[in-house]
Amino acid sequence: MSTSSSSHARTVLEEGQEAPSAHEFAFTPQALLRSVFREDRLFIILAVFIGIFSGLAVVCFRFIIEWVRIYALGSGVVLSPLRMLLAPSLAGLVIAVLAIHVFPQSRGSGVNQTKAALYIFNGYISFRTAIGKFIMSSLAIGAGHSLGPEDPSLQIGAGLASAIGRRMHLSRDRMRLIGPIGAAAGLAAAFNAPISAVLFVIEEVIGRWTAGILGSVVLSAVSSVVVMRWFLGSESLFRIPPVEIRRPSELVAYCVLGIIGGFASVAFATGIGALRPRFRDLPRWTQYFQPAIAGLLIGCIAWLGAPQVMGAGYEYMDEAMHGHFTWQFLAILAGLKIVATLLSFVSGTPGGMFAPTLFIGAMLGAAVGGAEHTLLPHMHFSPGTYALVGMGVLFAGFLRAPMTSVFMVLEVSGNYSIIVPVLVANTFAYLIARTLQPTSVFDELTRQDGLELPSMEEQREENILRVEDAMQSPKGWWLESDKLVEDAARLVADGEKSEVLVHLRDHGWCALTKAEIDDLMATGDGLDTLAEVAHDKHIPYLHPDHSLDMALRYVDRWPLVPVVNRANMRKLEGVISERDVLNRYRDFEGV
Amino acid sequence: MSLKGKWYALYLRREPASLALLFGLLVVFFAFVTGLSRIYFAQQQALAVRWSERGTANLKDHNYVPAVDELRAALRYSRDNQGYQLSLAEALIGLDRTSEAEAYLVNLWEEQPENGRVNLDLARVAVQEGLTRRALRYYHNAIYANWPEGDQVAQIRDARIELIQYLLRIKSTAQAQSELISLQVYLGDDTAYQKLLGDMFSQTGDYDHALSAYRLSLSAKPRDAATLAGAGNAAFQLGRYELATRYLRQNLALDSSNKNSRDQLHMADLVLRMDPFRAQIPTADRYKAVVNAFQIASKRLDACPVAASYASSTDPKKDLSQEWSDLERKVTPAGLRRDPDLANTTMDLVFTIERQANIWCGSPSDTDRALLLIARLHEGS
Repeated sequence: MSTSSSSHARTVLEEGQEAPSAHEFAFTPQALLRSVFREDRLFIILAVFIGIFSGLAVVCFRFIIEWVRIYALGSGVVLSPLRMLLAPSLAGLVIAVLAIHVFPQSRGSGVNQTKAALYIFNGYISFRTAIGKFIMSSLAIGAGHSLGPEDPSLQIGAGLASAIGRRMHLSRDRMRLIGPIGAAAGLAAAFNAPISAVLFVIEEVIGRWTAGILGSVVLSAVSSVVVMRWFLGSESLFRIPPVEIRRPSELVAYCVLGIIGGFASVAFATGIGALRPRFRDLPRWTQYFQPAIAGLLIGCIAWLGAPQVMGAGYEYMDEAMHGHFTWQFLAILAGLKIVATLLSFVSGTPGGMFAPTLFIGAMLGAAVGGAEHTLLPHMHFSPGTYALVGMGVLFAGFLRAPMTSVFMVLEVSGNYSIIVPVLVANTFAYLIARTLQPTSVFDELTRQDGLELPSMEEQREENILRVEDAMQSPKGWWLESDKLVEDAARLVADGEKSEVLVHLRDHGWCALTKAEIDDLMATGDGLDTLAEVAHDKHIPYLHPDHSLDMALRYVDRWPLVPVVNRANMRKLEGVISERDVLNRYRDFEGV
Repeated sequence: MSLKGKWYALYLRREPASLALLFGLLVVFFAFVTGLSRIYFAQQQALAVRWSERGTANLKDHNYVPAVDELRAALRYSRDNQGYQLSLAEALIGLDRTSEAEAYLVNLWEEQPENGRVNLDLARVAVQEGLTRRALRYYHNAIYANWPEGDQVAQIRDARIELIQYLLRIKSTAQAQSELISLQVYLGDDTAYQKLLGDMFSQTGDYDHALSAYRLSLSAKPRDAATLAGAGNAAFQLGRYELATRYLRQNLALDSSNKNSRDQLHMADLVLRMDPFRAQIPTADRYKAVVNAFQIASKRLDACPVAASYASSTDPKKDLSQEWSDLERKVTPAGLRRDPDLANTTMDLVFTIERQANIWCGSPSDTDRALLLIARLHEGS
């Protein structure tokens, strides 16, 4: 919004904050402390604390998962059949008891719970939920359930942040935002990818970009990654092989990958959306056994020759990237991982969807690349590139986070030459997934849980009404400032217009109402110029691309607001009144 | 103090105290995670070492299947350990899973392009994939690379030997020969390597160098049957039949079952007995040998009529049969005594007949083969 007068200039204060009086800026220790602990600054400091706490928690989380894996499944890569069958089953039993009796809020992936905290519970996530998520997810993932540690890390971070915010007695607005800050920290540490984490939280949880939030989210994500790297080293999740795209014609192959990935995403999301309510509708006593049966079935899949589907499976993604599997086996693994993850997730076992999504994407990508190479042997084939692009494809298609998917691949690969195939393939996958399944999996899960959270995807796709959609022609509504009051009186004489806009020479605008004009005529000032009588009646102006929501804030105070061209402020594009805005909203809702 | 002032005072007391508490908790948590990480990494290291030791032992015993699983497990706990990666790649090569091995090796090569062992393994992968140029490039890289572990000279020597054996397998004898000459420098007086050198020189057809290598080996280990056989063969191929018979006899004395040595000794004896040009032979015996060779050629001509019609080298209008008939009456001990040049003329005809018969009819008898060897010895063909 622009204003034409310096009189409109004012200090911008945060909501709920009072302007300090002059004596408060005096340089005294007390004033300094007060300045440091002002809530907006404190929030920034807390973001760093939250990042460090989340980073430490995620490091512990990874240690515990690994210890559970070693003691439950064994330290070797060849697992004994007994362990394969027993470990996930027994872990499932323990998890079911914990989830039903001790940590009932800790089921699911954690993304929706964080969103719910932001939009419904004023940022409240109980510390118990975070603890429950930590214990149950580490048990599930370590024992071989087909789930990942990222989403739980996100919720653990959000839970820690919420607890810290409560301890610091933050205002309600700050409390709402502190969960996403912790979520970004948790996710960044789990992924070792701060940019992707920040983007995901902005794209999927908060849904809006503001400097205040972004600064805190970035600070917490960076802090957590620094802590994570302090303990675990800076190596990425995968050993990235050289990324090679030799000819532009190879992009066609990536389009095919995008299309196949789009359909796979739909199948995966549809499976979760359809099976989860059915499993939840089963008698309550079955919930004690659902994770165990899911674990047993996953153990059977592993025993039958695909132990790669157990756990998060990062080491196997790494192997797929380095061409250690045939394309046929990769395709089988992608399919089995979908089945295994469906079993784990719909049975209510706590754990994340990120790692399985990346696993399926990597396997599918390398499989499609391998198959294309078999069919077209002259085509260059780099399994690592296809696997990386495949990860992005599933991320875009299944999690419906198109921007994050691109940056995630870039951040993980550290290679910008991959951006074109990723963009191409992700676009196909996203469009197919969105067309075939308009509701994203997170929104679907939220609705199944009986919550109505704002859908970030729907918000992104929403048509925004603009001033240009509601404004009317300026003809007959305005006069130059060198015109006389009687000219203005003639303009409003027909009774249709109650206001006249006056264009001042210094690019500003002012308005005269019919009553003011009539008064001036009555006092005999009809021969005065409009500049003389209206110079102190400045009004703001809008541009055609401003949203109608913004216009609504002004038409309430100023009955007629000029709409001017951005490049030429003297050019009036239209005028807008409260009636125009309301009429446009009414028509839009009618459509 | 006003209400607002009291609120600020409370706020100031609360916020710093809470932050101090948070900081304290942070320090405690950090210390806790530090302790936990020490335990974690110690365990990871121990597991890595345990699995790698098992894997390396199996790799040495050529038990590749368990070696692969164990080395994979080791890498799970020490993902960037290049030694484990290299061992795993070698185990995979052992299982002919070259593409998997190559994936590890290419990564290693990108980090250490100068590592000899990595280059050698990549060369082996290329050999298994039939990529000759790539194999040669990696072999040469390996030979001129660094070998950070173990005896560098010995490892370079072994890499070069492997390269030469590969060159011999793909019949690239000229390249193999030049590599062999370079290899000589690294071998010293080691009898086993000198014997190997001799064998490889023999395979390239460079019997001169082969004989030298065998002799060097025999000087330190004179009763090695294989070396004696090799030396006998090299001497035989060089036409040094007296030397050959000496080595071959010694070899047969140690290993009487060596059929090749026996055949070569028999042939060498025949050559020595039938050769009319050998040094310090009585004239009568020389003429007798010429007459004998002429008779053998006659039989060969009868058995191979195609060769008989071959044009004579001295008179193109005549064929070999006619030329033989022209000489038949002259080639007697007396005739040869009268015309000493006749011996050379006769032997020229004999050699021509044997060569042509060998070309057209093949499968010569031992005596025919002996005459061919004599021809090669004295005519250089």
